[in-house]
Amino acid sequence: MTNRIDGPLKVTGRAQYGLDHNFPGMLYGYVVTSTIANGEIVAMDVTAAKSAPGVVAVYSPFDPLTLRRPNSPMLGETWVPLQDRDVAYYGQPVGFVVAQTYEQARDAAMLVEVSYAERPARTSLVDNLDLAEDGPPAMDGTPPTHAVLAPGVESIEDALAASPVVVEGTYSTATQNHAAMEPHSAVAVWDDDANDNDANDNDANDNDANDNDANDDDDTNNGLTIYSGNQGASFQQEDMAAALEVEPSSVHTINPFVGGAFGGKGSTSVPAFLAAAAARALGRPVKAALSREQVFTATANRAETLQKVALGADRDGTLIAVRHDSWCSAALDRSFVEQTSHTTSGEWYATRNLATTQKVVPLTIPRTTFMRAPGEAPGSFALESAMDELAVALDMDPIELRMRNSSTGPVGSDLQWSSKYLDDCYRIGAERFGWSQRSATGREDGDWLVGMGMASAFFPALRFPATTEITLRADDTAVVSVGGADPGTGLLTVMSLIGAESLDIAVERITPRLGRSAYPPGGLSGGSTATASVGSAIMVAASAVIDDLQALASAPGGPFEGQDVTYADGRVLAGGRSMTFGELLTALGRESVSATGSSAPGEELTKHSFSSFGAQFCEVRVHRWTREARVSRMLGVFDAGRIINEKAARSQLMGGMIWGVSAALHEGLEIEGNGRLANADLAGYLLPVNADIPEVDVHFVQHPDTLHNPVGARGVGEIGTVGMAAAVANAIHNATGIRVRHLPITIEDLLDDEVS
Amino acid sequence: MQISIEVNGSTENLDVEPGVTLLDALRERLDVTGPKKGCDRGQCGACTVHVGGRPVLSCLTLAATVRGPVTTVEGLAADGRLHPVQQAFVEQDALQCGFCTSGQIMSAVAAVEQDVADVREFMSGNVCRCAAYPNIVAAIDQVRRADASV
Repeated sequence: MTNRIDGPLKVTGRAQYGLDHNFPGMLYGYVVTSTIANGEIVAMDVTAAKSAPGVVAVYSPFDPLTLRRPNSPMLGETWVPLQDRDVAYYGQPVGFVVAQTYEQARDAAMLVEVSYAERPARTSLVDNLDLAEDGPPAMDGTPPTHAVLAPGVESIEDALAASPVVVEGTYSTATQNHAAMEPHSAVAVWDDDANDNDANDNDANDNDANDNDANDDDDTNNGLTIYSGNQGASFQQEDMAAALEVEPSSVHTINPFVGGAFGGKGSTSVPAFLAAAAARALGRPVKAALSREQVFTATANRAETLQKVALGADRDGTLIAVRHDSWCSAALDRSFVEQTSHTTSGEWYATRNLATTQKVVPLTIPRTTFMRAPGEAPGSFALESAMDELAVALDMDPIELRMRNSSTGPVGSDLQWSSKYLDDCYRIGAERFGWSQRSATGREDGDWLVGMGMASAFFPALRFPATTEITLRADDTAVVSVGGADPGTGLLTVMSLIGAESLDIAVERITPRLGRSAYPPGGLSGGSTATASVGSAIMVAASAVIDDLQALASAPGGPFEGQDVTYADGRVLAGGRSMTFGELLTALGRESVSATGSSAPGEELTKHSFSSFGAQFCEVRVHRWTREARVSRMLGVFDAGRIINEKAARSQLMGGMIWGVSAALHEGLEIEGNGRLANADLAGYLLPVNADIPEVDVHFVQHPDTLHNPVGARGVGEIGTVGMAAAVANAIHNATGIRVRHLPITIEDLLDDEVS
Repeated sequence: MQISIEVNGSTENLDVEPGVTLLDALRERLDVTGPKKGCDRGQCGACTVHVGGRPVLSCLTLAATVRGPVTTVEGLAADGRLHPVQQAFVEQDALQCGFCTSGQIMSAVAAVEQDVADVREFMSGNVCRCAAYPNIVAAIDQVRRADASV
């Protein structure tokens, strides 16, 4: 149980996020956004804005900053603003005003007059299903129309028709926004020779403020230095270099602190592109941020989904047929598809017959992208609600139904789960939560109708290639570094713990560093991959640097010349003598020795399927008269392999579970017919506040999964949010008998009950 | 207009437009960047500071109207030692990304000082998207228990 290593900096206000950097001569940019959802900009009158006090420049599609669209293998093409006059959604960035002060830029932006040739908006998913197109193949190559049928079965309809018990439902989930507390923003500085990067290092280890930086190679600061929260320093470096047509080595990204991301800061943001381009054009540092309202349109959201699920089962609960058809909204550029069928129904339960489809409906709405558990979060609402409906139809305990249909791997796959203790999660969860006290029709407590619900949670265990560098120093400390990002995940602390373990020294002697493109690439915060990816690379780097150390020790002229040297407990040993690595380096007259290590997925992918698992439980109280629904208890039991830092992992999962409650009872972006978002601020877009959230119990079933990676950890960032919305809906059904098949669930949904 | 504000014990003289908020004065004029701008509308609480010992939303406070001394999260630690609320936030893992934390802590200090009856209700003006809420309550409880035992 280790405290977050960057905690002291964060609680004192000394952690410097992107916008916390100020520079002499710095200008402020403010983004102008469209007020139509579909059309073309005919003209922009910037006369008043340009003559407003303090204004330095006004950029528009008629007077643009030149930017190219970056294209990354992982994130696809990133849209850049001002390069044409097309408007594809309400709130699209169409201009950028730069002034001496923030207030001047903001005020002048209001003076920009935009004239449009408007085309009709198209914003409703359900009204435009006739425009649906096939989605792209899933990550594992599964096509958008997919079926696995038992021998002799002609179609999924036949399998459903032959099933003694069938439930069928149409489910929908709302458009959502990541709503990270830090709006997308950047400070851009070119040829920043005045700036001493080390002084702004935000090094988590205070005693080690500015000296002996193991990575001095960005100190010259030729080119662009950009301070902007993102999910991976090297991604932003590559995006920026491509957009600005400069060498990646000329872009220095600095993001040791990121004010939340959740998938919404994977692609480089509009203010970062505009600040960087304007700073180059004007020869002065530029700071730019989206307003909170602009974050909802000028970044990207989670898609709205519509899902039709049919489950056919034998009377003992054994699944015979699973059909899951999905539609999701997308922007006109179809840049992201929220895949809800294949990643849930295609994997979670054993079934003889499976059919999944994924369609996408292009609309004149803001772009969509990854958001915490993309696919699994909304997909699990549909599947896990349907499973609850099947349990009711069978008059069977929902946990027993799920255990009856336990999968050994994805449906139709020969690759079995590497390590799965989901049944333990159900059993332990049921015990801890008091599931045996649940009645099939809930219970009453005064004016409250009380119900319990549960759901399964799966999230794929992935990892990405990563390289880390370890430097052993003469003062007997070690530096572990990776580009990466820690937007609150706890990666920085994990690096310390795995570094200490791999080097066999105390954790206090490790200085972890991340959040700079100057560090080795890897450690992006996405896909719940960072611990497995970076941890594995740290183990390789540690082994390499220990090899190098031993070679130095036994080399000619070394203190252990010609001897067979071993390493343990931070010391080199041979012939009954030992020295700490610091003493050895000092004896050799060296300040340090460094090595890098890389790790990537490999042959294991041909041998097993990999996933994390969990069982979600909640108790919901619905008021008999007001019909408000309040979650009163929550429990998640998770099998996520080895847990490196239980304290931060618990926080991650708790946060995810609260996201599930939020999806169930709070969040939903409402898009009006003309494309305007009706509730694009933190007053109208409801997020849970402290009083909405009860005690949360998180429990781990710890079984290291070393078939997946050498660390044995599978990732905890996203699985917490999977299944919880269904668990809430299932608890509401248990309490009230009302089945709500859409999110968020509101008071109105619970009015049509016969009040007893 | 010329204004004078006391921030964390030192008096600062500024020349600002009347429309400049306390938050922007602190962050962009005085380089006091602990308070954060999460919404600029008084909807998130990340900008919470104390003015005259009371928590206020600095994004909804015009700098020119400030009369009392301003304390930000940077002004809580004394002699290099964390304020008990800061220490409790670290120990209870009452933060993740940390962006809302400055505001949470200023509200939490007020909750302790005012000995509020309902901590969760009192803290509900400070949004935490990482959703560290139960740990924030635990941090405040830790300080209150320690105070009670003194």
